[in-house]
Amino acid sequence: MWTHPPSGAILLAVVASMVAAGCTEVPGDTALTVFVASSLTDVAADLTDEWTSTSGVGVELVVGGSNHLAAQVRDGAPADAFLTADAELLDDLQHRLLAKPVTDQTTDWMADRVPTIIHDLAINHLVVARPTAGPERRPADLRDPSLVLVACAAGVPCGDAAAARFGDLPIDSFEPSARAVVARLALDEADLGIVYATDVAAHTGLAQAWPQKPTCPCITYAAASLSPSGNPFVAFLTSDRARQILTEHGFAAGPPR
Amino acid sequence: MTRPPNAPRSVLVVAALAVAFLTLPVLALLQRAPWSGLADLLRRREVVEALGVSLLVSLTAAGIVLVLGTPLAWVLARVDVPFRRLVRTLVVLPMVLPPVVGGTALLFALGRRGLVGQWLERWFDVTLPFTTAGAVVAATFVALPFYVITVEGALRTSGEDLEQVASTLGADPLTVLRRITLPRLIPAMGAGLALAWARALGEFGATITFAGNLPGRTRTLPLATFQALESDPEAAVALSLVLLAVSLAVLLPTRHRWLPTR
Repeated sequence: MWTHPPSGAILLAVVASMVAAGCTEVPGDTALTVFVASSLTDVAADLTDEWTSTSGVGVELVVGGSNHLAAQVRDGAPADAFLTADAELLDDLQHRLLAKPVTDQTTDWMADRVPTIIHDLAINHLVVARPTAGPERRPADLRDPSLVLVACAAGVPCGDAAAARFGDLPIDSFEPSARAVVARLALDEADLGIVYATDVAAHTGLAQAWPQKPTCPCITYAAASLSPSGNPFVAFLTSDRARQILTEHGFAAGPPR
Repeated sequence: MTRPPNAPRSVLVVAALAVAFLTLPVLALLQRAPWSGLADLLRRREVVEALGVSLLVSLTAAGIVLVLGTPLAWVLARVDVPFRRLVRTLVVLPMVLPPVVGGTALLFALGRRGLVGQWLERWFDVTLPFTTAGAVVAATFVALPFYVITVEGALRTSGEDLEQVASTLGADPLTVLRRITLPRLIPAMGAGLALAWARALGEFGATITFAGNLPGRTRTLPLATFQALESDPEAAVALSLVLLAVSLAVLLPTRHRWLPTR
């Protein structure tokens, strides 16, 4: 009867090997979980690669809309650090998590002080973009109802910034994140979209709808550590190397610290 | 309650845990409900607007489901079409497909640059994404299988005896369908339609992916709930209560169709 191993045992072995395989990619318990605003997706990957290569500590990135991520943190999601496109979200979290803002440069970053906050991590600008496949547009096209215009929803940092800068526009869809707007344009489902300058720089499918200069109201990113082990990572974000990576991706540096 | 001899205590405990697991979230929702301010919340423009879009979209989808699904269910149950099992699997696929995947697939099929969508735009100047019609398409896509399997199942269990008797008495196939099959099928059609409608009403992933999110056009109740959760959690709870009430209103009168009565 037992000439074959019982199928349950095989299943268990398969599952166990899959779990083991999964663990080798992220170095076990020591890996940090970092919540990242979706507009930082690309640069965050480079930043964490650099961080991992110098510190040896792995990072698992969770990418999403800043407000969604903040809501998850509020509800107790296990994040070690949070990079947000809306600094006010941190102020709100700060009250809940008893965060203390960093006031001077001499702070001992490595101290197990929970949590650390960096305002002015970097700056990003909004631009009106079009699919590269589509024709170049004019500013007046923003109000052309026959064109499909997409932007971020209210409450999402890029949506609030777009409303602050452009006012009421005939928007056809309010997307949950900057990346969703990028996808609409990259798939050529929308004619115009309000995205970040860095998104246009990073995606060949997107182009500026017309030549635009960096203009504010704009986005100021902030970072906070949410656990003691997140502190060194957030400290790393202020290093020259991290700032260099941010600049390479088209982010304007925040005011010097 | 007396414990029947055939019910081991461990099984009863696990069953009770499962019941708690399923009912606890709903109870938590009720407990968080801002009952005193509920009337004001429900009168808000965004709530009324979302309810309007939801009713329009889900009822239209239910109508399309009825028209497309009834012949399909009949064919699957009664006609010996080639590859019937494959066809049935494909038909039921949207039931188990993650709705976001469904929405993405719809975009590649019916989007402005989609397989069929590009011709819709070129020939008829019709674009579905970001329109109420697009939301109807998304809702129909996820709801249709629920109707088809309900009605097909009823057709199979009811058997073909009466139809065969009618045929031998000289009724032509269309008359048999109209006078014998359909009248006996009405309860199952009602139940299938209720399920499909409830699924259409609750649809989120395919809608936001394919049709986008615009108040008054494509922002249905689930989308409005998702949107409200981050800015105004109380409104999100109120919107959830509306959806809960509607779901119960559908389930209660039709539950005997798929639940044992005792």
